[in-house]
Parts: sequence; C-alpha cells; structure tokens
Amino acid sequence: MGIKIRNVTKAFGTYTAIQDINLQIQKGDFVALLGPSGSGKTTLLRLIAGLENLDAGKIFFNGIDYTAKTVKERKVGFVFQHYALFKHMTIFENVAFGLKVKPRKIRPTKKEIKEKVMELLKFVQLEHLADRYPAQLSGGQRQRIALARALAVEPEVLLLDEPFGALDAKVRQELRRWLREIHQKLNITTIFVTHDQEEALEMADTVVIMNHGKIEQIGSPEEVYEKPANAFVYSFLGKVNEFKGESLVTNFPHVKGTEEAVGYIRPHEIVLHQQSNENSIPAVVIHINKAGSTVRFELKRLDTDELFEVEMTSDHYKKQGPFHKGEILYAEFKNIVLFDRKTNSIQTEKNVQGEVVSAISSYMS
Amino acid sequence: MIAKEPLNVKRVGAGRIPLAPIRKWLLIGTALGFLGVFILIPLLVVFTEALKKGIELYFAALKDVDALAAIKLTLMTAAIVVPLNAIFGVIAAWAIAKFEFKGKNILITLIDIPFAVSPVIAGLVFVLLFGSQGVFGPFLETNNIKIIFSIPGIVLATIFVTFPFVVRELIPMMQEQGSEEEEAAITLGASGWQMFFRVTLPNMKWGLLYGLILCNARAMGEFGAVSVVSGHIRGLTNTVPLHVEILYNEYHFSAAFAVASLLALLALVTLVLKSLVEWKTRKNG
Ligand SMILES: Nc1ncnc2c1ncn2[C@@H]1O[C@H](COP(=O)(O)OP(=O)(O)OP(=O)(O)O)[C@@H](O)[C@H]1O
Ligand SMILES: [Mg+2]
Repeated sequence: MGIKIRNVTKAFGTYTAIQDINLQIQKGDFVALLGPSGSGKTTLLRLIAGLENLDAGKIFFNGIDYTAKTVKERKVGFVFQHYALFKHMTIFENVAFGLKVKPRKIRPTKKEIKEKVMELLKFVQLEHLADRYPAQLSGGQRQRIALARALAVEPEVLLLDEPFGALDAKVRQELRRWLREIHQKLNITTIFVTHDQEEALEMADTVVIMNHGKIEQIGSPEEVYEKPANAFVYSFLGKVNEFKGESLVTNFPHVKGTEEAVGYIRPHEIVLHQQSNENSIPAVVIHINKAGSTVRFELKRLDTDELFEVEMTSDHYKKQGPFHKGEILYAEFKNIVLFDRKTNSIQTEKNVQGEVVSAISSYMS
Repeated sequence: MIAKEPLNVKRVGAGRIPLAPIRKWLLIGTALGFLGVFILIPLLVVFTEALKKGIELYFAALKDVDALAAIKLTLMTAAIVVPLNAIFGVIAAWAIAKFEFKGKNILITLIDIPFAVSPVIAGLVFVLLFGSQGVFGPFLETNNIKIIFSIPGIVLATIFVTFPFVVRELIPMMQEQGSEEEEAAITLGASGWQMFFRVTLPNMKWGLLYGLILCNARAMGEFGAVSVVSGHIRGLTNTVPLHVEILYNEYHFSAAFAVASLLALLALVTLVLKSLVEWKTRKNG
C-alpha cells in the first residue's frame, strides 16, 4: 500500500508536534523515521495509523483519502514501543486476537485460527511458547510475538515504533536482520521509528530524517549520508567536530569561512602527526580509548582550547603510535563541510588547501 | 473500618528502615495495642453479648419478622447499589483516566464529596430534594411517587455514600496501565465493545472486585444517610443497622447484639475477601 501524507499538522495544546509535513511512501518500501527524541516520530506514525487525529492536511492510502477513516478501517499493523501484549492472555490468544474479533461472517473457524496462529508462531520461531503469558517472555521474544500478532490480520502496512529500543545490542542486531527478512518475504510497506542513525542507515531502503516536527531530508541511506541536505542531517548522521566563528575563520584561512559559517569535521577525517606541517594545528591529547577496532582520541586545541575528537583504525594506530596522554600532536583537517548558519544549508565543502571539493564524497574514503 | 486514602496514591510496601529493637517493638506494640482496644475488643464484645442468653435466643432474634425484613431490605439495597456503582464507577473512572477534557479536575473533586461530607448531611440533601417540602416534592406528590421514607430513598442515599469506592480504586490503576493495550486491540480490528470486554475489563477486574467488596460492606453497613431518609418504618424501611439501633433503644440488648453480629460477620468476610483480592492482585501484577 502506498501512503501519501500531504501538509499534515498536529498540535498538542499549544505545542505543534508535527508541522506541515509532506511525505510519499511507495508500496513495499521499507522506511525509517529517524530523528532525535521529541522530534515527532511517534506522533507521525500514530497519525498514519489513525491513533491520533490530525489538525490539518490529508493522508492518502493508495491514492484514496483516508484522513477521516478510523483505525479499524485503515487495517494497519502497529507494533508498540513497549509491545502492548495483552497481559491476561496467553501468547496463543494474543496472536489469535485479531482473528477472533473479526465479524462472524468473515471470521475463520476455530481450527483455521489455530492453524494460522501456529503458523505465525513458527514463523517467528516461538511456537513452543504458545501457552505462556507475556510476563514469562524475554524482551526479544515479546517483540517477536507483538509482530506476529500484528501480522495475523494480514495488514498492508506495518508500523513499528522503536521496535528494538528496549533490547540489548546483541538481540537488537539479530532482530534487525530478522525484520529485514520478514519484509523481503512479505513485501508489505513497512515504516519503523528509530532514533538510532546506524539502525536506520543499515536497515531501511528510505530514510526520513525528522527534527522539531519537520522533515529535514528524505532519501536512500547513501543519499542522506553522502549528500546531507543541511547541518542538522550532517551532524545527526555521524559524529562531528563543530567549529564556528573565530576558531574557524582565523585557523582555516584557506577556507575563507564567514562569520555565518559553521564547519563540521568528522573524527575520522582528521589525521594526527607527530611533526607539524603547514596545515596542521597543535593539540594536546586528553584521552585515548583503544577498545574496539577504532581508536578514539580526545584532544584540546592549544590555540583556542576547543576539544575535538579524532578516530583512526587500530591498524593505523599501530603503525603511527603509540601516543600518550599529555603528548602534543599536530592535527591535519582533511575535509571540512561548511554550513550557512542562517539558512542551515551547505555553503561549500572544501579541503583545507582551499580547493572546493565538488561532491561530498571524500569523507567516505 | 474502611481506609480513606487520597486519590492517586499507590499502595506500596513500606521500605525497611533499620531501627533499634526496643524502638521497633515499642512501635509494633503501640500499633497492636491500639488495634486491640479499638477493634478487637469491641468485636469480641459484640459476639459475647449476642450469645449471652444462649444460642436459641440468638437465632430467635435473627428470625424475628422485623429482623428478617431488615435483612431482606439490606440485601436488596446492596443488590441494587453494588451493580449500579460497578457500572457508574467503571464509566467515570474510564472517562477520567483515559481522556482529557475540560472540567476533569472538578469531576475528580466531586467524586470525593461523598467521603468528605457527613452521611447525615447527604441524607438531608435527599430529603430537601425529594421530601414533601423539597424541591421536587410537589411534582413527586402529584405523580404519586414516594422516595423519602421509602425504599428508593434508601437506595439513593446508599448509592451516594458508596459511589467513590469503585472509582477511586480504578482511576490510579487505569492511569498506570495506560491505553496501549486498548490501542493495540483497536489496530487489530476490535470494535469498541470488543476492546472493552476483552481487554479493558479483564485488566481491571481485580481492582474492580476490590472496590466492589468495600462498596458492598459500606452499602450494607451504612447508618447515617439511610437513617435520615428511611423514616424507620418497622418491617418496611428498616435496614439492618437501623434495626440494631431500634432494638438497642428498646432495651432488647441481646437481640440488638445478635443482629449486630451479622454486620460484624460481614466485616470479617469482607476483610478476608479483601486480603484474597490483594494477594491475587499482587501475584498477577
Ligand atoms: N499526548 C500528548 N500530549 C501532549 N504532548 C505530546 C503528546 N504526545 C507527544 N507529545 C509531544 O509531542 C512531541 C513529539 O512527541 P513524539 O512522541 O512524537 O516524539 P518522538 O520523536 O517519538 O520522541 P522519542 O524518540 O522520545 O519517542 C514531544 O515534544 C511530546 O512532548
Ligand atoms: Mg517516540
């Protein structure tokens, strides 16, 4: 089912949670709604499901105006952040619920319901838990049951609110892969909410980045990562060091940044040297974290006292290092992206030699 | 006695505070002593007084025509009041816990009024409304409807006095549970009624039962409000508590205590049921 959201606004009292949003989702798409806490992701998802009434705008399903349709009529599958399993029912009854509440005319027989539920439980690999109660399940298992329950009524749209939010890293990784597989098998239009950029970029076909009740950018993971529309998207999609004003203008003279500019540099785009060169800036090592495949440094610029982060692979560190806390190193900024602070859009991207980099591609290398 | 807790207060196990043994036993002793003097001893007195003149007289007092009529009226009142309170209580609690609307705070305050005002005053209000000199008096008289000094008045007064029990039990419980399960039911295609009977009601059944037990105890034991509207017509508008008073005033002490022992028994049964429900809730919660 294709979904079109046109000029939708939603306010809670005087607070506008969704501001004049436009969004088109293709049939069978796998969409991530990504944004910081309070940006309106859940609200948008609930508006699509009909769980929230909109104040202005229209919502179309397959080109038909669904704005006034009830939740029931929209036939969406909704998976709640905290699963919302029925506590007083067994797992079997939970999954069977959607089938049992169908009007008598179209309700499957008891036998059919049983078969269907067991099939779904097998699908989520939890058929052995049919007689348990939700309280007796782990978080990951509950999440899978919540999904099985939503799928039982064969929705054409699947909406998931932070499906992996409350789970530990390992289970989360497993469930991510599993959800992708399910989407590939069933090919239902799926929209999931997350505030984890890695999760969105890894899983989704389309990423919708939200901030303050507005959409900042829509695109494939590559598009939004490589061509961020504005400073917010750039900084939200990965770690950045931010330089503005004085420290930008005086220390990167080649960049010709103006007072209105903000410069962003990703930590892995800074190279550390033990000797100074013409483009480098001296900084003292504050902290080194060597756990994992990347080594992370925290440094303080000697000229402006600003803190910034640097990352390098541990292989690279082995060749160059070791560095020590308190040591003075020379940081070379390989790439800097400038945003106009007023319009929030990209001014130019330049490397420190002052050449304009035509496309923002260098920071993937 | 029935606890009157403020709205929205959750009952939670008290934290363990380390105390010197002497102080601890002093506290426990005081509490138990107080309970003994004010609750246990009176309860024992009721039963000893009731049985003082032998078991036959005890049952004779209960089998007396007027006593039986009083028991019947009390049971009937409870049978009307408790279900009505269940329905109104659930509706009011649902409205308050799950919806935002203007005047919600006023409604919450209003619900507490029956606990805040003296039952006698509650009874008087009904007399002022429905009595022959009251606001609706002339209307009722011309239509030949009798409320005060008859059964409808007793039922009304009892509903008024017992209304908060169910609501106050349900509101904090429903607020805590939120609406997610109900929303899940709706997205799965349930109608409003299906949602209510399959999700909302099962989720609040223990709280509801708890409220109803307390409501029932009060409905059967209410004296003040009922006394004002009843008119004390023997065999017609006397409930058990009123009958006890009459017997006592007429110096039929053992009979009075015999009938009173029924109320004491009711209290004991109520306490047992209440503990059972509490235990069950804790197990399921
Ligand atoms: N029922 C409500 N009443 C009042 N304000 C609300 C309500 N629901 C959401 N809001 C407000 O709307 C804004 C957006 O909320 P929303 O839940 O959509 O954010 P979110 O992006 O899902 O955040 P999170 O990642 O923390 O879940 C927030 O500022 C929130 O306080
Ligand atoms: Mg949310």
